[in-house]
Amino acid sequence: MWLHLLVLAPFVAALLMVVTSGFDSKSTSRIAILLGTVFTVFSIRLISVGSIATTPIEWFTLPGTSSTIYYSLVSNGISVWLVFLSCFVSLIALIAAKDSFGINYKNFAIGIFALLGAMNGSFLASDAVLFFFFFEAMVLPAAVLIAAYGGLDRKAAAMNFAIYTLAGSAPMALALWYLLSVGEGSSVVHLTMAYQSAPESLKFILFASFALAFLVKTPLFPFHGWQAQAYAEAPAPLSAVLTGVMSKVGVFGFIFWVIPVFNAAESMMNTIMWIGLFTAVYGALMAIRATDAKNLLAFSSMGHLGLAVAGIFTFSTTMPSAVLVLLVAHGLSASAQFVLTGIAERFACSRDLKQMGGLASRNPMFGFLFGFAGIAALAVPGTAGFIGEFLILISLWEIGPLPALVAGVCLVLSAVYMLRFIQAVLFGKADQVKETPCHKISSFDAAAVGILLVLLVVFGVKPNLITDSLNGIVENEVVADMEVSQDAN
Amino acid sequence: MIPLWLIPLFPLVGTIVLAIIALSSSDSKQGPAESITGAVAVLFPILSFLSVVTLSVGMPVEGIRGTIGTWIDTAAIQVNIGFLFDGLSRVMLLFITGIGSLIAIYSVGYMHKDRSFARFFAYINLFLFSMTILVLGDSLLLTFLGWEGVGLCSYLLIGFWHTDLKNTKAGNKAFIVNRVGDVGFLLGMLCLVSIGGSALLSYDALNAWLLNALSLGSISNAMPLLSLAGLLFFFGCTGKSAQIPLLTWLPDAMAGPTPVSALIHAATMVTSGVYLLARLSNLFVLIPAVLNIVLFVGLLTAFWAAIAGLFQNDIKKVLAYSTISQLGYMFMAAGVAAFDVSIFHVFTHAFFKAALFLGAGAVIHSLTGEQDMRRMGGLLKKMPLTSLVMIFGFLAIIGFPGFAGFWSKDLILERLYVSGPMGPYVYAIALLTAVITAVYMGRLIIMTFFGKYRGSKENEAHIHEAPASMLIPMLLLSVGSAFAGFLWAGLIPGAEFFREMLAPVVGAAQSYAMLGHTAAHLSPWIFAALGTLAAIIGMLIAWYLFMRPVPEAKGGSEPQGFGASWTFAFDKLHEYVGIIPTKVVAWLLDVVVNTIIMKAQWLTGGIIEILGDGIRAFQVRKVRLQAALSFIGMALITILVLIYGGLL
Repeated sequence: MWLHLLVLAPFVAALLMVVTSGFDSKSTSRIAILLGTVFTVFSIRLISVGSIATTPIEWFTLPGTSSTIYYSLVSNGISVWLVFLSCFVSLIALIAAKDSFGINYKNFAIGIFALLGAMNGSFLASDAVLFFFFFEAMVLPAAVLIAAYGGLDRKAAAMNFAIYTLAGSAPMALALWYLLSVGEGSSVVHLTMAYQSAPESLKFILFASFALAFLVKTPLFPFHGWQAQAYAEAPAPLSAVLTGVMSKVGVFGFIFWVIPVFNAAESMMNTIMWIGLFTAVYGALMAIRATDAKNLLAFSSMGHLGLAVAGIFTFSTTMPSAVLVLLVAHGLSASAQFVLTGIAERFACSRDLKQMGGLASRNPMFGFLFGFAGIAALAVPGTAGFIGEFLILISLWEIGPLPALVAGVCLVLSAVYMLRFIQAVLFGKADQVKETPCHKISSFDAAAVGILLVLLVVFGVKPNLITDSLNGIVENEVVADMEVSQDAN
Repeated sequence: MIPLWLIPLFPLVGTIVLAIIALSSSDSKQGPAESITGAVAVLFPILSFLSVVTLSVGMPVEGIRGTIGTWIDTAAIQVNIGFLFDGLSRVMLLFITGIGSLIAIYSVGYMHKDRSFARFFAYINLFLFSMTILVLGDSLLLTFLGWEGVGLCSYLLIGFWHTDLKNTKAGNKAFIVNRVGDVGFLLGMLCLVSIGGSALLSYDALNAWLLNALSLGSISNAMPLLSLAGLLFFFGCTGKSAQIPLLTWLPDAMAGPTPVSALIHAATMVTSGVYLLARLSNLFVLIPAVLNIVLFVGLLTAFWAAIAGLFQNDIKKVLAYSTISQLGYMFMAAGVAAFDVSIFHVFTHAFFKAALFLGAGAVIHSLTGEQDMRRMGGLLKKMPLTSLVMIFGFLAIIGFPGFAGFWSKDLILERLYVSGPMGPYVYAIALLTAVITAVYMGRLIIMTFFGKYRGSKENEAHIHEAPASMLIPMLLLSVGSAFAGFLWAGLIPGAEFFREMLAPVVGAAQSYAMLGHTAAHLSPWIFAALGTLAAIIGMLIAWYLFMRPVPEAKGGSEPQGFGASWTFAFDKLHEYVGIIPTKVVAWLLDVVVNTIIMKAQWLTGGIIEILGDGIRAFQVRKVRLQAALSFIGMALITILVLIYGGLL
């Protein structure tokens, strides 16, 4: 019931938005925010319900195969939190966009709701084809939103984003089709069996095809070409959703599709851990060199998610909770930072770090929120990010001192770019900034971001609020999967 | 008995209240009323101090423990939020909250009419919260929370006047250099976790485990990891406590308001490294090789910083280098397993260095921001009370007989000679450093208070003694600089109160380190006489060298020539080892690697675009079409799958 609601209701909400009056943006935004709140409440309810599944509904049979595709949904300790993130961050995006688009707000909300449904669908699908359907369905609303509401280079960014991600997942479609044609179904178990029976020569190609889709989506080096431009050109509220939630679908795919299905391919898995670590360093160094505020945040996200992926492929017992906390923390802090950067962009009329500055003295409330979000992103103990990074460090340490040391270097580098970012936006003489008519953060925006920041502290002090959801069956399943894969070597 | 969590709770509540005051008044031009804000700002540190005193009085020998809940509880890691109040944390907390309250009172006068008055005290309270957590935490992880928390407050307060980017850059530097050390701390914790699980992060459990492993003889298996852990923890300490190689941030940190320099960068935060070594004394005495590293790093730092202190013209910079040098003494003491002595020096240093900084702050305050000693002079007559405070601090730091620093430095020197490796040599260098200390501190006093006034005319007109809210804390601290040393006066039989307080915590470790040590027993009077001689020689050299007209100040206050190359040696090192390589790699990745990737991507993208003519789809601005487009896209892919899949 909850699962169906969370996946299908956003699409219904999108249709509902179609019939609202586009010219009264106030009432439209009220309806959209109300609906977003309802979905967030649903998702909180889902967290307390925990792991449940729906009765599979037969959907269709893929021609040329014997596999029947089901419409079936399942939730687990990790996906409930990611669903919460997607509902909550979408709500924040709807709030933050309230005053930006005027009569176009309606279409923005339609796009966000469609995106929300697709994201929830990919987190909850238990059928591989259904997952793939939602995985691809995310791309279009996101691309259309970038193309319609983005910055100067929005069309190029949107094209680049759509083609890159679609092309990246095309091989997965082929590999999936192959596994369905040799196997007997489209659930994880069936895919695993199909993979085991595949000829040795094909095994690597199958694995790589799946991995590529998620490497692109997360993204990891060297498949990040779409990311910086897409995040930078997208309107800030959308960037918050893209980095806060959509990028997590890639990480989610690694945990729940790549690892279980290809559990024998550990040597390749180890490679992905190193790719993740390299991405973490790469993202941090690129963020240090960035001159565009949103580019900086894009690379910072890339670095954090690289660390998360590296953590996954350590297969340590700490891994599920480590990755879950890191993902939630990053989702909250990165979306807060994107929303705030969007506001800073309005104040300074520029995204160029050299053109910004002095906002702390001009607008102390904004300075407080922005500084707080930056410090939370630094993973200072007491915020959720610290718990995530500490647990990831423990996982990496189990592999060896070198991976942990690399992650440690990333902690230092993240301090370098984040403090530089805070300095460029907040500090310096106020008169460096052009005088703009609005230089107050609206109390509604401040409250929305404030909730994100409060949650970061709450989860930093009580991470069990998040990790308790793992105490169900799923953690055992994931660990069991990993044990199988380790035994196999 | 009151609960332990009250100690950090008071400053935390203070932080929240002051943050609300600061934010809610952020729109007004004038800011909140200073009287109420100041009262709140001072009240919570004092309440915290009073709770420490209350707890101290009734504390049983084995200490008080209190757990308020679980922090992390996952499959592999369990850590509680628990507090440990014993002889060591009692001493630390007494002076942290005590001196913290005094400096808060002083700051009310110092920050008068600053628009960010409330924000300043919110940070100060947050600092006291973090610092009490650091000291009170019963596990390394909770200490780390305080450890990074104080680093954060240090960053916020160094860059407090943030319209000047020079200040915020100094703050960034402090945070980043400390982060490098913090990674060492983190990895050290990971070593302990892999030895015996997350339980070993708790101090009590770690000590029990070490004792057990020692008695079973199974400790040798864990020795490599234990040594690595010790080394990494000490690396963390070099960051927080400004030792070689991570000391460059502390002189820059003087960009913050002077009360901050007194509280954070002299009396409390920078001594947390010494605290950590004492807290982990049971671990460190098992790894003597690491302790030797601690000893020599401390020795080098003390000597290097004392020389650097000679070259500074900025009064706060002299004090900053002297702090680094004194911290070096503390680490030397820890390096010869004299943890109680090192904490004793932390304690006395907190008084006299805070007095010196607050005195310097009063001087700077009355000269409207002038910090260059070449533009001071002759202030003895104009600010007699401030001079008195500074001279008391001066006598304490050079180890003049009877003053606080005399007793603690004397004990350190004695232990270095008696129980250290290469005792006499180490002792000789440490004694030489003591002479240099007296020289550069004598230079500071002479240039500031003696001779003729050399500053600007407009400043001269309104040189005045500081207001009472600043003077009273200064005078109290100068009383401490004079008498705090009698808590452990080595020359007076029975005056060992301080040692006895710490004995339950570090005593066992120290006697373990002394096992099999048969040192020649020398009379403590010899050490006292040599220490006194060092102070007097230093003062005479300073008198001879600096009681003469000072050349007129030109340009900035930075040292020139050899002084500059000596002072900035480690900045240069950081630049060549850390900053430049990072920049080069970042440049390579950005300009070379990323360009190649983008080119490759555009090439592929170009081909696909020509094939697909996809741009047209996006020219349709109607967002409503997207659902339809999604399905079309999905259908296209399905067809592709069917076509290509059939060929497989």
